[in-house]
Amino acid sequence: MKSFQYLAPIAPFDYVRPNSLNELFDALSQYGSKAKLLAGGTDLTIALKERMISPEVIIDLNHVRRELTGIEASKNSLKIGAMTTYTELETNATVMRCARALSEAASQVGTYQIRNLGTIGANLANGSPAADTAPPLIVLNARVHLRNKHGEREMPVEDFITGVKKTAIRPDEIITSIEIPISDGISSYWMRSAKRNENVISVVSVAVASEIRSDRFGDSRIALGAVAPTPILAKESSSKLTGSPISPETIERVSKLAAKESKPISDVRAGADYRRHLVYVLTKRTISKTVSLARAN
Amino acid sequence: MVEVTCTVNSKKVHKKIAPNLTLCDFLHDEMGTTGVKKGCDTGECGACTVLLDGKPITSCLVLAPQADGHEITTIEGLGTETTLHPVQESFIELDAAQCGYCIPGMIMTASAIVKMKPNLTEAEIKRYLSGNLCRCTGYQQQVQAVMLACKKMSSQKNLR
Repeated sequence: MKSFQYLAPIAPFDYVRPNSLNELFDALSQYGSKAKLLAGGTDLTIALKERMISPEVIIDLNHVRRELTGIEASKNSLKIGAMTTYTELETNATVMRCARALSEAASQVGTYQIRNLGTIGANLANGSPAADTAPPLIVLNARVHLRNKHGEREMPVEDFITGVKKTAIRPDEIITSIEIPISDGISSYWMRSAKRNENVISVVSVAVASEIRSDRFGDSRIALGAVAPTPILAKESSSKLTGSPISPETIERVSKLAAKESKPISDVRAGADYRRHLVYVLTKRTISKTVSLARAN
Repeated sequence: MVEVTCTVNSKKVHKKIAPNLTLCDFLHDEMGTTGVKKGCDTGECGACTVLLDGKPITSCLVLAPQADGHEITTIEGLGTETTLHPVQESFIELDAAQCGYCIPGMIMTASAIVKMKPNLTEAEIKRYLSGNLCRCTGYQQQVQAVMLACKKMSSQKNLR
């Protein structure tokens, strides 16, 4: 019995399934911009069904998954393979300890089923302004590692996403991993606001990472999601927080500044003014949480 | 066409399929495992949930070739007609189904979480099941059924 189709069937495409990274890079140099990469499929399949995209070629990464998956902790950094799933991030003790903001974000993406499929590399490669892993990665100073046939390069996450659905990736490149420097005194957290707790796109998300000293905020970074064409590092409020005394007044002032730095639009999920207000509220709560987390340790 | 070799409900399957087929359509239409229900076709409702290497996934979001080399379990492979899975038993005992369309998917998610953590709290069950929408019930019986299944699983363990 045929199951019904709400949406038009997915348009035909040529399917390529490389079995090694070398085969993958060959396929990328051959098909380049005509191709789309398939990781978990949670975003790509919907885009295909809704005919938002109709690539001539789909390159399935699932047979090179082993080379691109895993969370490796060294003394100075955490290296996360691009095809590591949200569930793997959420349940990893090292990520929880050293990159709490990322752990929180991963645990709230989509549903359990989606977290078992979706991958961190694809979350960035999609270039969504609301990508939930981006603000945590930005505040944690994470770098995206890219590779093509000829070599590797890397860049900060905030430079990687360049516009709505646009990234700095070249047609012959893949993301191999995301590297997060580990630094002992850093406390980080992520919060979002959305219409429900589960399976929603964030209306606003805020990540904060700060080196909490006894009475002062040391090096601090604040990043905002879904309030600009890309996830953004809130530079002014980050530098205002850095070096300020830990007090309700500091948190109030910095959160107001973060709201000013956001450039939200009005859409089906929320109005611009409401989003700006949410940035203020969530920044306050997230900074406070990084303080209480640091003090609990 | 692309060749796919995978395991569906413990049986080795080798097929040539169109790559633009979703895993949901492949299982329902080509394999005849019609317990895989298509609800929203966009990953929102969870009716098409199956296990991929033991983990619940929404099969409408997966292209069938992605299953190559993997193990798929649908509701048909969970229990047998004489010996039901503890989650299936619990759903029947507590009348957890009304129209029933969401139930195969919900049972697949539940079967994976009770195996992963047999002492689940009510809050954890609600969180993990939030990707399985039911438009008839208020979820009360289903959450209770998963708690009952947890009890059954841990007492089975204690008997061994």
